[in-house]
Amino acid sequence: MTATTPLGAGRAATPTPRAPRPSIVQIVGEIWESRDLVVQFVLRDLTLRYTQAVMGFAWALLMPILIVGAGMMFRVVLATLANSPLEGSSIASLAAKALPWAFFSGALSQATSSVIGNSNLISKVYFPREVLPLSTVIAQSPDLVVGLVVVASVMPFIDKTGLSWSGLWVIAVLLLLMLFTVGCALFLSCANLFFRDVKYIVQVLLNFGVFATPVFFEPQMLGPKGASIMMVLPLSPFIQAMDVALVHGHSLAETIVVASRKGDVVVWAPWMLAYAAGWSLFLIITGIYVFRSGSSRFAEMA
Amino acid sequence: MTTKQPSLVFEGVWKRFRKGQLHDSLRDLIPATFRRMTGREPKRPADDRYFWAVRDLSFDVKPGDVLGIIGGNGAGKSTTLKILNRIMEPSAGIVKVNGTIGALIEVSAGFHPDLTGRQNIFLQGAIMGMRKAEVMRKFDEIVDFSGIPEFIDTPVKRYSSGMNARLGFAIAAHLEPDILIIDEVLSVGDARFQQKAFARIKQMASAGAPVVLVSHQLDRISELCTKAILLERGEVRATGSPLNCINAYLHGMSGRGQGTGEPSVEFQRVLASDGQVVRSGEEVTITVAGTASLDNPPPGWVPALCVVDQRTGRNVHSISGLQRDIPLPVEGEFEYEIVLQMNVPPGTYHVMPFVWDSLKRQDIMTGPRLQIEVLERSPFYGDVQMNSRWRAIKLGARTSVSPDTKRQTA
Repeated sequence: MTATTPLGAGRAATPTPRAPRPSIVQIVGEIWESRDLVVQFVLRDLTLRYTQAVMGFAWALLMPILIVGAGMMFRVVLATLANSPLEGSSIASLAAKALPWAFFSGALSQATSSVIGNSNLISKVYFPREVLPLSTVIAQSPDLVVGLVVVASVMPFIDKTGLSWSGLWVIAVLLLLMLFTVGCALFLSCANLFFRDVKYIVQVLLNFGVFATPVFFEPQMLGPKGASIMMVLPLSPFIQAMDVALVHGHSLAETIVVASRKGDVVVWAPWMLAYAAGWSLFLIITGIYVFRSGSSRFAEMA
Repeated sequence: MTTKQPSLVFEGVWKRFRKGQLHDSLRDLIPATFRRMTGREPKRPADDRYFWAVRDLSFDVKPGDVLGIIGGNGAGKSTTLKILNRIMEPSAGIVKVNGTIGALIEVSAGFHPDLTGRQNIFLQGAIMGMRKAEVMRKFDEIVDFSGIPEFIDTPVKRYSSGMNARLGFAIAAHLEPDILIIDEVLSVGDARFQQKAFARIKQMASAGAPVVLVSHQLDRISELCTKAILLERGEVRATGSPLNCINAYLHGMSGRGQGTGEPSVEFQRVLASDGQVVRSGEEVTITVAGTASLDNPPPGWVPALCVVDQRTGRNVHSISGLQRDIPLPVEGEFEYEIVLQMNVPPGTYHVMPFVWDSLKRQDIMTGPRLQIEVLERSPFYGDVQMNSRWRAIKLGARTSVSPDTKRQTA
């Protein structure tokens, strides 16, 4: 059997032309063309999740409630140790911050397995593979909306500040969070197909993440240095912004400084929003490229 | 709408796969990488690590073309289809696709068992690239074609496998792609549905769009295709007219172990002494002659003969000297006479002598083919001519008299 192999070792490789890689505009265009497929996948996920779970609507609130519960326990311990009372606003803060966290961790752990979970489709039918992580993330968003409505309607009763127009910032923050999550999901779902243990690593990191980001903490608890380290984590601004805009009613264009025992802590600054937006764009663009270059080998790996 | 005509072009397409085990987890990869870096595991040469599933494949399909791809198992048909369908990328070469591709492959791959038939139609339709509006417009037609309207709101997990496949095919059959790719989906459902499915495929294939068809059923290829490619171990063995390729394929089944000059049994002549045209159910006499030059008779080797149906490529009959106590000639000239009763439907058959290794259960050397035409005798349907004889014992008080039931003397 002697066939010339264009990529074989030893032989002078004949320059074999290959189709050029599609640009990001082409890829996004292709995904847009498949929007009906995204809708169908989202509907499939939602139908299965809500018709099978007896609790239905309450299911959407279960994760945030668990996170708030865990945060409460954590804060009660901290408050007891520090001999300071637990304020009503911190419960509202916990609830508001639990929402983006529940969305992010839920979406990411689902989306990491989204490609491998559809390996029978990957090896049999062509469609833009980006649709899989994308629709998995989108399918998590109704939970976020339900949670947001519940938190917004309960908040005036547990917190004196109440809602203000600044709450509308939340929409921008959550849209950016969506982009950020899809970006991460593209990387991880692709990686998990090549390395099947990525999903376990993701799970461990997500368990840590709740302490590394300001879900349970207020930044001022960590002092100036600790707070800035925490806010460097790309996910932190999203979580902190929920507290600032929704619970405390500040505009995200303001800089908010809170005094702590170790000095003044910048709890929020406009650059944080820009920083989060920058990360979101960076992740989504590189994510699309990396995913697309990996997806040419999906069918062989699946 | 594309302004250019839909077309599909393969230019020197190669595809290789990695052999052996893949590291598909970090737990395996990290130690393996470390071993390679420290030189404890020698890097294997590329030829050892890869094999080529498709080698230098070129063809083009234009409107009005129906290209058939044939070949045995492992010839590269499925890989070619996957490259065509953009599921895989070629390792080298260019695939130019102008227009949307619709594939009648794995027609129910996207079904979710917990969703109803109705929900799955929308899901599978979207997976195959249909717009929602399109699915809605064709929904009634799809349900009607599937023939299971009463179960459309039942979860698919309660469907029989036949129902599942029928619904899947019904969806795929309503695609309107610029280019159509068909794998052997014909083996779907019961005989009646298969006929319906084939009629539909025929209709889609003759609509003028470029079509690529992969099938083991050679009669389908010869019936539908305008041109064909014969693949063997990833390489093109023959191209051109479907009949040419089918002949080359059937001949290829006989090509092994010849002309090497090694000690062998060489079949020089295969003749039908009373002519190559018979009627179904009649006998044909085959003479096989040749020379043998084997040093010592290998154990288990026996002379044998097979009959292959050109339409389907199926081996309809094989017989060896083992059953007839005919030994294998070892030295010098030999000649056999074999009488076959052609109890087969009308068609073209190929008779082929070969040497059979009854211990390893494989054919060793094969001879030239002889084509036998079988003509119709008394019409019948099915695979075997049984030369039936009917006699009426009792026919009731009245019998129907219609042109179809005119009594025929068998």
